[in-house]
Amino acid sequence: MAHHKADASKLLDDRGYGGRLIRGQNPALLFETGVRNRITQSYYWKEQCFGLNEATLCDRAAQIKFIGGTTGVNGKPTPFLCLAFKLIQLVPDKSVIFEYLNFEDDGEESDNEGDKAERNGEGEGDEDGDNGIMNGGRVQDPEAAGKRGAFKYLRALAAFYIRLAWEPVEIYNTLEPLLSDYRKLKRKTKEGYAMTYMDQFVDDLLTKERVCATSLWRMPPRSQLEDLDLLDVRESPLQGEVDAMDEDNGEEVEVVESESD
Amino acid sequence: MSNRQGAYGGTNGGDTSFRKTWDREEYAARAAEHERKQKEEGKARYEAAASGKKYRRRASTPPDARETEARSHRLDVASMVGKTMLVPQGAGVGKRGKGAGFYCEACDLTFKDNLQYVEHLNNRQHLVATGQTGEVTRATAEEVHQRLLWLKRKKDEESKGEVLDLDSRLKLNKEREDQEREEKRRKRNEKRRKTKDGLGHQEIKLENDGIIDSSTHWVS
Repeated sequence: MAHHKADASKLLDDRGYGGRLIRGQNPALLFETGVRNRITQSYYWKEQCFGLNEATLCDRAAQIKFIGGTTGVNGKPTPFLCLAFKLIQLVPDKSVIFEYLNFEDDGEESDNEGDKAERNGEGEGDEDGDNGIMNGGRVQDPEAAGKRGAFKYLRALAAFYIRLAWEPVEIYNTLEPLLSDYRKLKRKTKEGYAMTYMDQFVDDLLTKERVCATSLWRMPPRSQLEDLDLLDVRESPLQGEVDAMDEDNGEEVEVVESESD
Repeated sequence: MSNRQGAYGGTNGGDTSFRKTWDREEYAARAAEHERKQKEEGKARYEAAASGKKYRRRASTPPDARETEARSHRLDVASMVGKTMLVPQGAGVGKRGKGAGFYCEACDLTFKDNLQYVEHLNNRQHLVATGQTGEVTRATAEEVHQRLLWLKRKKDEESKGEVLDLDSRLKLNKEREDQEREEKRRKRNEKRRKTKDGLGHQEIKLENDGIIDSSTHWVS
């Protein structure tokens, strides 16, 4: 039975830290000092994040209503950021993170498959169902049905954690399927709110340097990993449409040419 | 020996049963335990020294200590807002004892604001006083899955009562309002019946209804 501390005293102890490491470092260093201090001084952290473990963290994550970094003139951290810091403290096992990311209700499994079958029957829809399995092991999740990751903010939280804590190849492999999750997310900005989408958030995580008041560590770009044969070339779910558009354009061009002739 | 005469003619020194009798076995066991502990500590000390570390004796964990758990609900900090309570004289000095503010029963301390209070609830002193270890068990993926299933069920049940159709929502609202109005009418009628002759409470009209208007002249 492994234990961890109820509060972050061990994590913030920069000389005597003996817990799990992330890329050979104290995980707390993934957050900037100022943000770290503001998180540990915030009331939400002290009240709601005390004594959480991997399971009870789900309760809090199910309650959060928006993502975001720090807000207001004082840079008050959002609950999302506090919970991300808690995850950084816990450093959960990979299986737990996958559970957060791809939680599926067992009871509705049959329902889900029924949906798939229906969509397959429609003809065009089989792109979603079959392609996922054919796509070299990388399973495209049935996002249109919204069955996976029932708690979208928990899913966003897990994605954020994965970007911070895991290795580049794993990051690309686990986060890219989320690019077909088109659910809305509420994002708290410095003042006020903005709307974003899950796929947009994940894209930000993969391409931007700063997300949610945290500078993300520099990850090698996808093309580099492809050159090293660590990753397969990504096939966009929109590839079919893009090809079709290209064909259409080609025809048009030809028509134009013939007219000019 | 037994028939030896005492100085005052008694048979012997009197009743000596008040003296403590020593359970030799128990004390032998205690001594052995003590010796074993000392030996163990000596060994640990030696090993620490051999590996170039300083030995520190750890206080033993009480056997009935339980694990710290996450708060199951939010701290109730607003329940006493606007209330008056009697506070013993001299309670306002320091944090000791029960005074005005957030009171911690286990530690007998009072805090002036909720931030201090929650900090106290998290700190070592409070955890020890309430018999907690300050450690939390890691959860497995299976436990996490079960938790999420439970949360999903709860969410579904809560959303079952919600109706998104505008017409039905308006209807529900109207019903609720009607109910409230009926309740009010019932109370009014009850009140009227209680008074003499069923006349209801006579309203006593004050001149100007207590409002100072410009026609009132003040005599100074």
